[in-house]
Amino acid sequence: MTEQINDQISAFIDDELSADESAMLVRRFERDPEARGQALRYTLIGTALRGELLEPHPAVLRHRIAAALAGAVPVTPRLPVRWSVVRIARPLLGFGIAATVAVVAIGVLRAVNNSDPVSSRIVAATVAAPLPLQARDAVEAPSYVVPPEVAEGRVVTPPIRLTNYLMHHSEYASRLSRTSVHSNVVSAAPERPRAATPEARQ
Amino acid sequence: MIRISRSVLAPTLFSLTFVGGQAVAQEARTWLDRMNRAVEELNYQGTFVHVLGGTAETLRIVHRNAAGRSAERILSLDGVGREIIRQDDEVQFILPDQRVVLLETRKDVSPLVTALPSYSAEIEPHYELTLHNTARVAGRSAQVLEIKPRDEFRYGYMLWLDQETAMPLKSELIDEKGAIVEQILFTEIDLLPDIPAEALEATLDTTGFTVLSAPDSPLLAEQAIPWRASAVPGGFKLSVATQSPMPGSEYPVEHLVYSDGLATVSVFIEDPKTNAEVGDGFSNLGSTNAFSLTLRGRKVTAVGEVPRQTVRTIASSLVAE
Repeated sequence: MTEQINDQISAFIDDELSADESAMLVRRFERDPEARGQALRYTLIGTALRGELLEPHPAVLRHRIAAALAGAVPVTPRLPVRWSVVRIARPLLGFGIAATVAVVAIGVLRAVNNSDPVSSRIVAATVAAPLPLQARDAVEAPSYVVPPEVAEGRVVTPPIRLTNYLMHHSEYASRLSRTSVHSNVVSAAPERPRAATPEARQ
Repeated sequence: MIRISRSVLAPTLFSLTFVGGQAVAQEARTWLDRMNRAVEELNYQGTFVHVLGGTAETLRIVHRNAAGRSAERILSLDGVGREIIRQDDEVQFILPDQRVVLLETRKDVSPLVTALPSYSAEIEPHYELTLHNTARVAGRSAQVLEIKPRDEFRYGYMLWLDQETAMPLKSELIDEKGAIVEQILFTEIDLLPDIPAEALEATLDTTGFTVLSAPDSPLLAEQAIPWRASAVPGGFKLSVATQSPMPGSEYPVEHLVYSDGLATVSVFIEDPKTNAEVGDGFSNLGSTNAFSLTLRGRKVTAVGEVPRQTVRTIASSLVAE
């Protein structure tokens, strides 16, 4: 599956696709189980990170698909945004999983246009401080924009020898650490290692 | 009215508080032990999200325990689809992007090796254990357990343990500044009575891949390994001294393991000529930090899920006894 499709699915989850684009993507879901699985995974990630994974199949994806099939403007469920969620979601910016940001941005847009002053205050107060830039960007450019890549913090492939070390180390680590080490090794991006940091040479 | 002397009340309250604290710590340790057993002994499969820095990756895990023999497969559902399959003493790491299979075999010669660590009261001088309220994760009720280090040489954890089985449904690794380094979060998990062996088979076709495996060389006994760290943070003790055969290397690498009962640091010592790939300095793979240096003609590398200063302290203090 191409990066473009992944971006489209991410935008679909975030309600950033036009009605026509959404309808096309839903038709693709009908014949492409991989795309369908990816959509479910993105939805699960967003929902889980918001701490709202109380049922195995999040309602967000169902709403999006139902709305696309009906040709109607999809309804975004208003979700409570807590500080811990914002803190967790921040590192995910630029990775293409913009579900939390989009929900917040949509919430802000709706709050701005909402005649109910109480709900406006709640949404604005909740999202304005932690994510002002993301919300403002979304207001200025509400159409679908592929989020930029964020290189910082990206895991790099270690030299084979370091991988050997980690694999041996994991055998003696606690079970919790072993899962962590294996996840780190499996998740490493296919890039060359970065050079040793200057601090290391002191 | 009954008057109670302050001299009687104060020690009594202190004793009650102390006993209460001990009981909570004991209960927390029991949860940790249950978690350790659950992760190893249960049959389960599920999907979890691994969040690290600016990256989130979705992974699939299948864990099988049949007749006391455990096997596990972890597959990345994103990216290039790397896969780790661990069966008994053999670990296969499949890197489709590099068309390589790393084959690791564990050969323990150290009598100090234990199958599962147990969490004794020895960890308490170095970690504060707190049981919090319950929460829901992946649709299940979970006990929240906080493990807070008492110094800056180790990481802390927040764990969400399934109330029924003690499986960790969510975990956060927290650094010495209180920031979350890594999160592992199950989005779905199935606990099953049995898992077929076929579920552990590689999903990738490795035909034509280069297989890197270690030569079958005789290993030294623990006593024959002269290296020891002369400066380790409080609570870290030598738990293993062994040799580890390395794929692509003719000679096994000397391997020391230091543990404080929760965190583990491995120190690898080898001839620098066989290890040109690892330069001196810090490197990291996700939440695992590594520090390498050339010391007394040997390449020394310490790795562990601990802060950078801990791997550097231990690696730099290595001496030959």
